[in-house]
Amino acid sequence: MRYAPFYGCMISLKYPQFEAAVRKTAPPLGMELVDLEGFTCCPDPIYFKAGDKLVWLSIAARNLCIAEEAGLDLVTMCSGCTATLSEARHLLEEDPGLKEEVNRRLAKVGKEYRGEVSVRHIVTVLRDDVGLDRVAASVTRPLENLVAAIHYGCHLLKPSKVMRVDDPNQPTILEDLVRAIGATPVQHGENLLCCGKACMSDEIPAEMTRDILDQIESVNADCMALICPTCFDEFDLGQLRLSKRFDRKFHIPILYYFQLLGLAQGLGARDVGLQFHKIKTDPVLEKLGVAAA
Amino acid sequence: MAKLNFEFRKKLDAIIDGDHHNYCYQCGACVADCPAARYSTDFNPRKIMLQALLGQEDVLIGGDSVIWLCTNCYTCYERCPQDVRPIEVIIALKNLTTEARRSPEVLDQIRGSVRETGRTVAWSALVDRRRQELGLEKIKPAPVDEIQKLLDLT
Repeated sequence: MRYAPFYGCMISLKYPQFEAAVRKTAPPLGMELVDLEGFTCCPDPIYFKAGDKLVWLSIAARNLCIAEEAGLDLVTMCSGCTATLSEARHLLEEDPGLKEEVNRRLAKVGKEYRGEVSVRHIVTVLRDDVGLDRVAASVTRPLENLVAAIHYGCHLLKPSKVMRVDDPNQPTILEDLVRAIGATPVQHGENLLCCGKACMSDEIPAEMTRDILDQIESVNADCMALICPTCFDEFDLGQLRLSKRFDRKFHIPILYYFQLLGLAQGLGARDVGLQFHKIKTDPVLEKLGVAAA
Repeated sequence: MAKLNFEFRKKLDAIIDGDHHNYCYQCGACVADCPAARYSTDFNPRKIMLQALLGQEDVLIGGDSVIWLCTNCYTCYERCPQDVRPIEVIIALKNLTTEARRSPEVLDQIRGSVRETGRTVAWSALVDRRRQELGLEKIKPAPVDEIQKLLDLT
């Protein structure tokens, strides 16, 4: 099981604890992550794409070429990178004229896109290649008694004909992965609501995140488990903003799935970078009997 | 009676997926689960598609257009029975807004960062320290010469 990991800007440069968690939890799962040289920003599916779709597509195709040249499938850890690279692949397959135009551009940097590479969010690799049984077998410290509220975010699932990950209306992939490490996933009323990060308003995203966090509080979850660094930003740092805005305390620990997996595989809190979180994860660690970060 | 602006629609058609606005029959499936529409009475993807069909350039790509309230969640793309891909039409409208130099400043900042560093998040000494603490290698520079070529092509 060899893959080319694509960590992206948000994870490499803002939340490297997620990169560390992925790198440290992959070997016990039998995954070999082969670092390739030359990747750039995916590029960003929100603001960069809003500037010029054709340039966005060309830069995305250049990243795909690098994996193609190495003969490895791309594995993404960020839902934004997953969206850009999966959609780029889809557009280039759907429209031969567009592929020709993009290749005309790529020729200027000595590349050609052929369309031989897959783009996969790493959670699908865990489910489909590694298998839930092997994920469970890698666990040395089951996260018993931990109740995790799942936050899917948008770009892992939609558009489903492009992403091909799970049923976008009733997904189970993250619940299954949380169960595999001994924790209990809990459903709540807003588990499929967007985090709102891309909406250019102060008010709307604040109300959206507040409503999601209120739901999580109402089902007595110990933490939120997610798989997207942009959603993480909105909920971790975001809770500090929310506490000010609504004049009440928001304090739900937010963990990236691979940090939870790391704890379950016996890693310490600092190994997966929990000391860098704005919202303290101590209540989660206490419940698991792990020393604080 | 509204006058159609075909010239604007042609410009929209020329952008990736912008032409999909032509398939819209105004059913409103895109509105039901739209989070921006749920939280704001100003934002309505069905209405934006109608304005695109009418070619209402000033409303859609003016400096205060509601298109920037879109959360980019792709639920409308998922729900649309006509493959209109409203979100993609909205992004195409944002491209036209950028062309008209009326986009929010953050777009220039992001494009500038990609041009200068190949990345959207700026390098900092703090991130190198954190990476070291986590046992990760330092960030390597990205091939900005290739990115600049791709940014400047027409």
